[in-house]
Amino acid sequence: MAMMPKRVKWRKSQRGKLRGVASRGNAVVFGEYGLQVLQTGWITARQIEAGRVAATHYLHREGRVYVRLFPQKPVSSKPLETRMGKGKGDPEYWVACVREGMVMFELGGVEEDVARNALRRVAHKMPYRCRFVKRRHGV
Amino acid sequence: MEMKTIIKAEPRSSAGTRSARALRQAGQLPVIIYGHGEAPESVAMPLHDVENSLAHGARMLQVELGGNTQQYLIKKVQYDHLGTTPVHVDLTRVALDERVKVRVGIELRGVAKGVSDGGVMEQHLADMEVECLMADIPETLHPFITHLELGTSLLVKDLELPDGVVAMNDPDERVATVRALVEEAEPEPAEEGDEASVEPERIGRVRKEDDAGAS
Repeated sequence: MAMMPKRVKWRKSQRGKLRGVASRGNAVVFGEYGLQVLQTGWITARQIEAGRVAATHYLHREGRVYVRLFPQKPVSSKPLETRMGKGKGDPEYWVACVREGMVMFELGGVEEDVARNALRRVAHKMPYRCRFVKRRHGV
Repeated sequence: MEMKTIIKAEPRSSAGTRSARALRQAGQLPVIIYGHGEAPESVAMPLHDVENSLAHGARMLQVELGGNTQQYLIKKVQYDHLGTTPVHVDLTRVALDERVKVRVGIELRGVAKGVSDGGVMEQHLADMEVECLMADIPETLHPFITHLELGTSLLVKDLELPDGVVAMNDPDERVATVRALVEEAEPEPAEEGDEASVEPERIGRVRKEDDAGAS
C-alpha cells in the first residue's frame, strides 16, 4: 500500500503554490549516491512506491535505499458525471511536494555503476526530469 | 591532487545580495577571508579558477591579493540549489605550521568478509573531523574493511590515520557495520480504489459533517 500519514489534523487541503527552489534537502546526506529532481511539482504516493520498488528489485536486497519523500498532502477530486458545487470532493490520493534540486532517493553500500543503473530505473518512474548525484565529501 | 595555481583576488567594497549577484553574473565569486584576529576582507575571485581548484580536491587556495601571495584554508563552500556551482567561499588565514580542524571523507576499501557471507555493508560515517598540520591534511581516508565479519563494526579508534593526524570524533563511534540481511515482507498489493477508501486518523475534535464525509 502506498504511503500516507497515520494521523492528520485536516482531511482536505488547498492546492497551494510551489515557489522557488530547494534550499534544504538538496544534498546527498544518508547514502553515497542520490537522485535529484530538476523540476518543481507534486509526486504521488504511487510514484514514490514505484520508485522504491524499482530500486530494491534491481539491487537484489544489496545496499540500502533511502526514500526522502513523504506524501503529506491530500488531493481531492469530484466523482465523474457530477455537477459542479455541493462542496469539495473527497480525498483521492496523497502527494509529496518537491522543489527543483531536492534529493528524492539515496543509495548506499553499492558500487557507483550499480547505483547509476538502479537510480535510472527510479527516474523512469518519476514524472519529472531527474539526475544522478554523488555525495560531496569534506569541505 | 591539489593544484597550486595562484588565484588573483580583488577587494570588493560593496556587500549584500544585489552586488553579490552582479559579481556572479560577471563571472566572479564573492569570497570572505577572516581569522587570526585580523579584520575580515571581502574579495572577489574568478569563479572558473575557484571551481577548477575545488574540482581537483584543493583544501587550500593560493591567493594573490594586493601584490601579496598567501595560502588560505577553505573553511566553507556554499553551492547553488543544485549543488553544482559555488556561490560563496569562506577562507581562513592559517600558518603552515598551525594545527587545523578539517572534515575528511572516508572511502571504504575492499569487500568485507561478512558481505561475502550474505551480510550488508552499512557506512554510518561518510566523513569525519580531524586535526592536523595544514601541510598534512589527508585527501581522503581509505580504511580496509576486508576483516569485518557479520555483525561487527569498524570504529573510529580502529582507523589507521596518517602520522600527525588526530580524529576528533568519539573513538567508539561506528564508521561502518556489516549487518545481517533481514527479510522484509513485501506488502500485499492494494486493490484499486483501496487507497482512497482508507483515510488517516483525525487529530483533535472532528466536526459532524467531516465525520460523515470520511465514512
